Formats: sequence, C-alpha cells, structure tokens
Amino acid sequence: MEFKDYYKILGVAEDATADEIKKAYRKLARKYHPDVNKEAGAEEKFKGLHEAFAVLKDPARRAEYDQLKKLGAFEKGGSFHPPPGWRSTARYDTDDFSQGDAQQFSDFFASLFGRGNRAYQHRAPRMRGEDIHARLGITLEEAAHGGEKQVQFSVAEVDESGRVKRRNKVLNIKIPPAMGPGQFMRLRGQGSPGIGGGEPGDLFVEIELEAHPNFTVVGQDILITVPITPWEAALGATVTVPSLGSRLNVKIPKGATSGQKLRLTGKGLPGKISGDQIVVLMVAMPKIHSAEAEALYKKLAEAEGKFNPRSHLEG
Amino acid sequence: MVRKTGSDRIEIINEETIFTFQEICERFGVRGEFIVELVDYGVIAPLKENSAEEWVFDAAALARLSRALRLQRDLEINLPGIAISLDLLDDVQRLRRQVSLLDRQLKQLLGD
Repeated sequence: MEFKDYYKILGVAEDATADEIKKAYRKLARKYHPDVNKEAGAEEKFKGLHEAFAVLKDPARRAEYDQLKKLGAFEKGGSFHPPPGWRSTARYDTDDFSQGDAQQFSDFFASLFGRGNRAYQHRAPRMRGEDIHARLGITLEEAAHGGEKQVQFSVAEVDESGRVKRRNKVLNIKIPPAMGPGQFMRLRGQGSPGIGGGEPGDLFVEIELEAHPNFTVVGQDILITVPITPWEAALGATVTVPSLGSRLNVKIPKGATSGQKLRLTGKGLPGKISGDQIVVLMVAMPKIHSAEAEALYKKLAEAEGKFNPRSHLEG
Repeated sequence: MVRKTGSDRIEIINEETIFTFQEICERFGVRGEFIVELVDYGVIAPLKENSAEEWVFDAAALARLSRALRLQRDLEINLPGIAISLDLLDDVQRLRRQVSLLDRQLKQLLGD
C-alpha cells in the first residue's frame, strides 16, 4: 500500500513538538478546508491533513506510527509493508472517530489503525447513519428540461470487525424539469450506513446553476447579448437567437439601437412563475471596410449629419 | 460503482417539507441545547419563532447545519465564529459568481 508520511503532509520535522504539530495543522486546515478553498485538490489535501493530525496529535498513536515507519519495509516503487504481524494497540476513544470523521481516512490508515475502532463498534448503540449533504451543479438547459446527472460522494462504513472503510458511491439521478437553484432533492437511505443495524441516513442534494457561456441569469429571466449589424439595426431584420434547448426567430425592430432590450416571454427559466428571455442588442461593426463601403459611409455621414452621440460630453 | 436510481426514490423537496426539532437532533446526533444555541447565534433559523419544542426547519437549514458542524469539527471554530463564517462564505460564493460573470461581460465589451 502507499505509505502516508504524516510529518511531510503537515510540513513538520519528525521531532516536532505537539504544539508545533497543532499549529501546523490549524494553519493548513484553515487554508485547505473545502468550504473555504474551492480549488481542485483542496478537499483531498484537507483529508490528508486531518488524517495526519489525527495520528500525530496523540502521543500513543504517534509513537506507534513512528515505530511502524522505522520497522516497516519501503519498496522502490513507493509501496510499503508493515512489519509482519504488526498490530495497532493504541486505544482509540470512541468519541474521536465519529462517522463523519471516518469518511475522511485513507486506506493506509484504515488498514493499519482502523482495527482500533472495534471498541467503537461494540459500544455504539443502534444508531441511524448520518445524512449526507451534497451540491449538484446543473446547466440552464438541464434546469429547464431536466436530465440525467451523476452525483459522487464518499460514504463511511463500519464492517463486522469494527474497521471503518470509505467507499466511493456514484448515483445516477434523473432531474425533473423546472428545477431552480436552491431547491433540494432527497434520496432516502442513500446517506451513510447505520451503526449496529441502524437505518442509513439520507442524501440531500442542493441544486446549483452552472454558469452558461451565453446566458446570464437574473432571477427567473435569462439575458443574452446579441450582436447585430448596423444595417440590421437601421432597417430592421429577423435573426435567429439561441434559447434554452432551441433557436428562436427574433424580429429586430426598425431603428434599433445598442443596449435595446427585447423580451421573449416565457422563454426563461421555468417554474411556478416562468421567466423570460431578454435579448440585449449590440450593434457590431466590421473591422475592415471595402472601398465601396467607405464611400457609402461618407454619404451616410452627410445624410445623418444631425446625429451627435456626444452632445452630452461637449461644453 | 454505479447504481441506477429509479426516479421513485428521488423526492423533490417542496416548501411543505419540514423537519422537527427532535428530528434534527436525531439526524445530526446533537443535543437539543446545542440546536438552541445555534438558533440563538443565528446560525440556523426555525420557520417560526415559537417555543423550541415546536420549532420546525426546512431543508436549507439542514444543509446549513451540516456545514456548521463541519466547520466546528474540522476548524474548531466556536459558535459566533461559525455564524459569521457561514455568512461570509455565502457572500464569497455570490461574489465569485458575480466576478466571473462581469469578467465575461467585460471581455465581450472590450472584444478580447
């Protein structure tokens, strides 16, 4: 199995004092806690820190770990073998390893130290498993029309010998249409397994909307900026515009201007009150103009001579 | 491992779904006094401000409570600290989204 160097994980020397270890853990825990740090790998890093501290903070466990490190065999590939017949004897308080904690320990820990939890198994009364709360990001299209999504989470289980094991679960969930952000779904019995034959907990999933490349969500409405040409604006036109799961024909009124909003009722996020899709027009200019176009623009300048967009900036 | 979940096992939680004070204590394995303290500090709020035994909570309160307990367990934060942390974390999430949105709009405007 892969060896976990707890000292290295906490960034402390092997002869660090208990105080130094505590300080190091607290500083790193604050930095990498998944509720605070949203970068990829932060959660994994945090679990590693938590485990390292769980072992090193207690003198008995730390002594055992040091001994294990000294006597075990390391192979070139990085795998590690404990000395033959090695058994953890350090006492583990049942309070120390709640189900919530157990979710975070690696296989390394579970196989070498997990056996101490036998005491936990016997003393624990019949208890309901913990609930798991997860957040699920869905696209705007999925929010409108529903879809199949996967939810991944890890569950802690206590097996017959009292060992605590982590298991990765993946569930396929069918999201119904018209799900909004902040809505909750519950999957009964999909939380952590119960203790001593107790009921499993539930899985709660909170819906979050993922950012969309084209749309901005404002309440139940969705906004999209649509570029149009100067001649489409001046003369009016019909253009196609993306919508949630389809394309729509939108009539650009004659004499449209940049920033003008067109409201497409009922094409926003569905729900008790359906939202609208709001098209924000933006007049776009080509960068390069043919000689013919330039000549026409000169004529246009003369014809539209009275129009001064900067009047409010003069004098 | 992948398990197909039948749609009959998923419940959409609506506004009528509530959780009693007793149920919250059982789900989270905490004592009633602790829940009272959390409400006192404004970490979670019952749907109606009546007497504690009659308190009921919604799913959002459960999710918030779950995060509060994690902060307490993982970062050893005390209750006033937890209350402000949760508020700040909500603010940070909202601001992050706003920033990423404004970033996109700015790029569109400046024509990157």
